[in-house]
Amino acid sequence: MIAVIGLVLGVVAGLVIEPTVPANLQAYLPIAVVAALDALFGGLRAYLDGIFDERVFLTSFLSNVVVAALIVFLGDQLGVGSQMTTAVIVVLGIRIFSNAASIRRHLFKA
Amino acid sequence: MPGPARAADESMTLINEVYRRPLDPGYQEAAARRAAGTAPRRTVRGTVALLVLAVVLGAFATTSAVALRRPTPAVLEARTLLETEIRERTAHADELRRANGELSAQIAQLQGQAASTDDPELFAQLQKDAVPSGVVPVSGPGLRIVLTDGAPVNGGEEDASSLVLDHDLQTLVNGLWAAGAEAVAVNGERVTTTTAIRSAGAAILVDSTALSGPYTVEAIGDAATMQTGLARLPAGQALAALSQYRIDVRVSAQKTLELAGRGQLMLRSAQVLGAGEDVTHPADAGEATASGTQSLGMAWSDVAGSGRPDGEETP
Repeated sequence: MIAVIGLVLGVVAGLVIEPTVPANLQAYLPIAVVAALDALFGGLRAYLDGIFDERVFLTSFLSNVVVAALIVFLGDQLGVGSQMTTAVIVVLGIRIFSNAASIRRHLFKA
Repeated sequence: MPGPARAADESMTLINEVYRRPLDPGYQEAAARRAAGTAPRRTVRGTVALLVLAVVLGAFATTSAVALRRPTPAVLEARTLLETEIRERTAHADELRRANGELSAQIAQLQGQAASTDDPELFAQLQKDAVPSGVVPVSGPGLRIVLTDGAPVNGGEEDASSLVLDHDLQTLVNGLWAAGAEAVAVNGERVTTTTAIRSAGAAILVDSTALSGPYTVEAIGDAATMQTGLARLPAGQALAALSQYRIDVRVSAQKTLELAGRGQLMLRSAQVLGAGEDVTHPADAGEATASGTQSLGMAWSDVAGSGRPDGEETP
């Protein structure tokens, strides 16, 4: 519950304050957002499975975002940034898809 | 003997791993710990840390999403740079065109001076030919036709089908020539023998000048004759059909229209036939007009009407 309240508070704060993102972080934003989406879907599925845990949810959220951004950063340094982005998007995309399918089975029993 | 059976998808462990265990295994472990009663007790400090982390992550994700929906400063910068460059170049081009116009006016004046003293006959011919060839500015009664692009429906995107096309202007100009126009200009650009109306991307070019709507086509001639002539020609029907595409067409008779001159026509390839003897008709090379015809304007419109690929038949 705390995690959800906190997230909602954070979303409201982000919308109201609208902080500017430093230019050199801009490149990692798309990947971070996809990673956040993956964590959100994972959390929702765990909740429907009855095994939701706030600590696991928040740590997976944080580590997802950080690791995804780091991988892309590393890729950029090695000159394979776009390929790394593709790799991360593919993996996270597959996870989001199968989590979404599982959520669908929970909600619609189909 | 073959060894133990291998799974058919053994070579795809990576994909399988991603696909079969999409949920963070941490959830399962935490649930198991809770069931076993070995889960760590929640402290106040831990709860606060969780809350702070949640707020930070929420704010971060929202900020990222909002920032991604805004065009990045770099893109904006490049855009403004390009815009200023376009504006500068356009101003430069306008300046050059103006200078060009001044120079050709000078040339015409000097030519006139020279010819009027040396060879009055040639001078008279030059002045006669200058009107149909579009070199000098002219004024007179005529028709003004304004074509306006259709406005987007409900403030939506601009509909490509409601834009005036180069073809519409071509048809209209050809129709006007055929209906007896003596001089035609589109948005102030005089249409001459060598004028092309075409499109480049979304813009309509008359020669090399890009025009934007509304498009004003002005034709000098007898307004009533031109109007009835136009109505009888296919061009008139094409004009009427434009309203289907929500293009606004306004035709009005004008007492005086002033059309700018095109300046000197540069002929690079055309040669005057028998230039040695027949120097009294220098304009023939470019225009192929029937020189010596009394009504030069009419002769001109005949040639223009039949000479263009999609020209209308003169009634």
